[in-house]
Amino acid sequence: MLIFDELKKNDPQLRLVAMGLAAGFFILLVGLWWVQVASAGAYESHLQTQSYRTVRVPAMRGKILDCEGRVMAENGASYNLSLYLGDLTGQFQAEEKRLRPAKPATQSQPFWKFWVHSSSGAKKATLSKDEIAALQWQARNDVAYTVVTKISRTLQRPLTFDAHGFDRAYRASLYEPYTICQNLTSAEIARFEESYSESNAANLDVMTTRLYPLGTTASSLLGYVQKDDSSIEGEEAYFNYRLPDFKGVIGIEGGFDKELHGRAGEESVLVNNQGFRENEDVGIEPEPGNNVRLTIDLDIQRAAEESLTQHQGTEARAAIVVMNVRTGDVLAMVSSPTINPNYFTGNLPPDELQKEAQMMEDTNLLPQMNRATQTFDAPGSIFKPVVGLAALEDGLNPNEIYQVEEDPMNPGHGCIHIGERKIKDTVAPGAYDFNRAIAESSNSYFIFYGLRTGIDRVIKMGEKFHFGEGTKLQTGQDSRGRFPNLKQVHESDWHVGDSANICFGQGAMAVTPMQMAVAYSAIGNGGTVLWPRLVDRIEAQTPSSGEAPLIEPSAIVRDYLDVHPRSLNILRGAMLGETQNGTGKPAQVPGLTICGKTGTAQVQNQNGDLIGHNFWFASFAPYEKPQYAVVVMVQKGLGPGSGGVTCAPIAHDIYTEMVKKGYLRAAPQTVASTN
Amino acid sequence: MVDPSINEHGQRFDRLQLAALVGLMIVGGLFVCSATHANPLFENLPWYDQMWVRQLVWYAVGIGVGATICFVEYHVIARWAMVIYWAMIVCLIAVLIPGIGSTHGWGARRWIDLPGFQFQPSEFAKLAFILAAANFLSRPIEELRRPSIFWMAIGLMMLPFALILKEPDLGSAIVLVPTGMAMMYVAGVPKRYLAILVGSVGLLGVLFIADILFAPPSLQFPMKAYQKQRILVYFGHNYFASPDADATPAESRSIRQQQQGDDYNVRQALISVGSGGLTGKGWRQGTQNALGYLPRAVAHNDFIFSVIAEEEGFVGSVVVLTLYAVVLFAGLRIAGQARDRLGKLVAVGVVTLIFSHVFINIGMNIRIMPVTGVPLPLVSYGGSSVLGSLIAAGLMQNVYIHRKGY
Repeated sequence: MLIFDELKKNDPQLRLVAMGLAAGFFILLVGLWWVQVASAGAYESHLQTQSYRTVRVPAMRGKILDCEGRVMAENGASYNLSLYLGDLTGQFQAEEKRLRPAKPATQSQPFWKFWVHSSSGAKKATLSKDEIAALQWQARNDVAYTVVTKISRTLQRPLTFDAHGFDRAYRASLYEPYTICQNLTSAEIARFEESYSESNAANLDVMTTRLYPLGTTASSLLGYVQKDDSSIEGEEAYFNYRLPDFKGVIGIEGGFDKELHGRAGEESVLVNNQGFRENEDVGIEPEPGNNVRLTIDLDIQRAAEESLTQHQGTEARAAIVVMNVRTGDVLAMVSSPTINPNYFTGNLPPDELQKEAQMMEDTNLLPQMNRATQTFDAPGSIFKPVVGLAALEDGLNPNEIYQVEEDPMNPGHGCIHIGERKIKDTVAPGAYDFNRAIAESSNSYFIFYGLRTGIDRVIKMGEKFHFGEGTKLQTGQDSRGRFPNLKQVHESDWHVGDSANICFGQGAMAVTPMQMAVAYSAIGNGGTVLWPRLVDRIEAQTPSSGEAPLIEPSAIVRDYLDVHPRSLNILRGAMLGETQNGTGKPAQVPGLTICGKTGTAQVQNQNGDLIGHNFWFASFAPYEKPQYAVVVMVQKGLGPGSGGVTCAPIAHDIYTEMVKKGYLRAAPQTVASTN
Repeated sequence: MVDPSINEHGQRFDRLQLAALVGLMIVGGLFVCSATHANPLFENLPWYDQMWVRQLVWYAVGIGVGATICFVEYHVIARWAMVIYWAMIVCLIAVLIPGIGSTHGWGARRWIDLPGFQFQPSEFAKLAFILAAANFLSRPIEELRRPSIFWMAIGLMMLPFALILKEPDLGSAIVLVPTGMAMMYVAGVPKRYLAILVGSVGLLGVLFIADILFAPPSLQFPMKAYQKQRILVYFGHNYFASPDADATPAESRSIRQQQQGDDYNVRQALISVGSGGLTGKGWRQGTQNALGYLPRAVAHNDFIFSVIAEEEGFVGSVVVLTLYAVVLFAGLRIAGQARDRLGKLVAVGVVTLIFSHVFINIGMNIRIMPVTGVPLPLVSYGGSSVLGSLIAAGLMQNVYIHRKGY
């Protein structure tokens, strides 16, 4: 090579210098190769970690629909005002400059420097590191406070500035907007937009929120969501920042959270050395969650709720279940009172929010309880058909007459003596066959025949209905209730009085309205105990996605009663009589034959004092070919009421709506029968 | 192959070296531009006040001065060598006086403010030393064998070394040592003297580092804290290696912050260089500098190589190294062709000086050298440095122009 020519000459000193140079270049070359080629990957990942922040972007949550596709829960926009801290840097610096104390003018400049430096204002005093940090903190707070105050004036909404929260946000995530005001109303948005100017540091951010357009309708069933941005299974566990996300807590929102939730995406934000956002790109698109379509029919649901409100008021402690006896599909599930689920996402006007908050505190109303599946109480007389069925299977002749003896302490009312104990009856003394005993709900009759059949057989029958067991609803609100087993009834502390209590639905048992709906469906459909079904299908949010919906199987059999059809026919006939001539009369719907049973169970406190009643009306219709079961339960304190007076009218309204909607067919009425 | 030197006799300038110099200036202009484009301090300046335009102006001025120097034969310049040398010593003393010397907000007092220009005497003192040393060492070889001459040569080197170290500017001071030694070696100073010199410099170096790393504070060499830290960082010294039992949590925290700060520049430079990979991210596409991770105050001067390496990758680094290699080996060829020992020594001095700068600067970017504020000749932003480098190039060309047989 040209430049090495001279080095071939005999000049050892220059040659050594050249060799030194060559060695130096070689070292640099190897060093550069090592850093830039051999270890490039490691440095690249260093670069990534220091200059990228990952942000969790929540997926669009699926909707909850009724069986006809009407929306029960959806996503809506909520408008927040946020400060972009990066945009404020200039203001921070200006404020800091302004705050800085001037340097005391002790040192004058050397004379020859006057023409060198044109005086650039007063020199600033030198400060220690800590003083500067405090100054900057002050400057940031001043600027942010000014902005917040200005916005508060603009919106005409009082806003508080949380200095510590702001400082935390400033230190932790400069690249994310700092929210100063949430859930703007449309009027506030208008005011903000009107006064908008370039210098305005605040930005209107659109966030998704969970909306329940129907308010309290079916709200216990829907459940609610709460802010939760943690990673779900199978997701990236670490994010620098998480955008607000919701997680279902209970009800359908909770039980089907996995389906509704979708899969969060990931956005990479490029940040500079101070942590401000430079730009961003979407790494992983979020996958929207699926819609959950329920078996609920909103019309029936609404009719049930309205009827309940109309008869018992908004604060009634009550539950209603409407079930298809052939499939186990739940058409309506009411629990009252209930909290508006929008309360949990803050999407309510302030006065309503406060009202809901007060109700949440009420230990008597317990509005968060789903009374249709979660609370269990003594069924009272509505359990008698189960006892009756056990007796009929045991060979009870329905025409056999049982004489109800008169209660000497309470003339006009019957009673029965079990050992030493006298159990009161509400019916008049006299001759009772099976039909009359059901229609008028005689305790004595069912205690007598229940005990004659044997408590074992009664318990076995109850077990076939699966009392005391859960119904596998995925709402997180499913109670097992209480029901004695054979072992318990043979223990020494089980007395005949306990058995007698079971025979009229009191004592050591408690059921949920849902369990009763399943039981009455089984009586109605000919002896098949079904699993209740709330969710019809899980389907993609966008119908064009081509994904086949996942249809939940219907009419899943849990058990068979294995009873003689004759027994069921006798029972159903007696129950028809109950609504036609007995206590369940107020449930009657013209042209519809309803089989029903009323019930009143006593509620005692821990001391055994009577504190209230649970009124029941359990039924199915039509008698000829039962299709739907309706169970109404109302809890009341001490006072007047009965299953027939309190609950049956509500069932009447529901059946009327079901006829109107075409679920049930009412026979054309002749003039004669309407009277 | 025809002896190319025959053809070259007709050449007035060493064109190959000039081409490489032009190449380096192009690289410098481009990457000063790239290193400052994202700096908010310069964002609102008019185009003519942009750093890269200023750099180009300095190139123009430097080329003018360098060309002028070519036309004054180096013997004439050498006659004035001692005058220039002492003038620079005066400047180096002046810069230490507060009121004349300026710190520009940095820890060190290195600059003299002139209207429109901050003059950094150490950049020119290095050249003055080369001229003076070349002049001094070009005496008959017999005289060089005298110890007194050897010690005088050492003194010639130690005077600016000590003054520059006092500023403090460790990097600029240190480059004088290899330069002086190479010149003495080429001049023909007896090997035993040089062996003593190399041995004692090496021993001093080892003692110096050992002192910083291990000696108790009372026995330590007096240095600015930041200089010591840079060296500690280079040796991977963990400030917590010997935890002080008496340290309060606040003290420990402050020590930790200090360590992070010291380590920061080197780490970011390494990330820049390393993430460039084989081919780099493209001109002005480097994120380390644009996002401010590579400190903006140094990205366009001391750490400009990081910017080049990040944006042009290993390929770009090799190109830069090649350009320097061409300049330096051409410089050595000039030394070989020089008419006399004065010319040879000037050329060797300039070559060693530039090489020392290149090695220390690139070395600190890839952590094979500690961080010392040494610019990358012709590429780093800075008037004094550019002017000094182009004067140095002018001196080499001067020796070439007035070579033997021409």
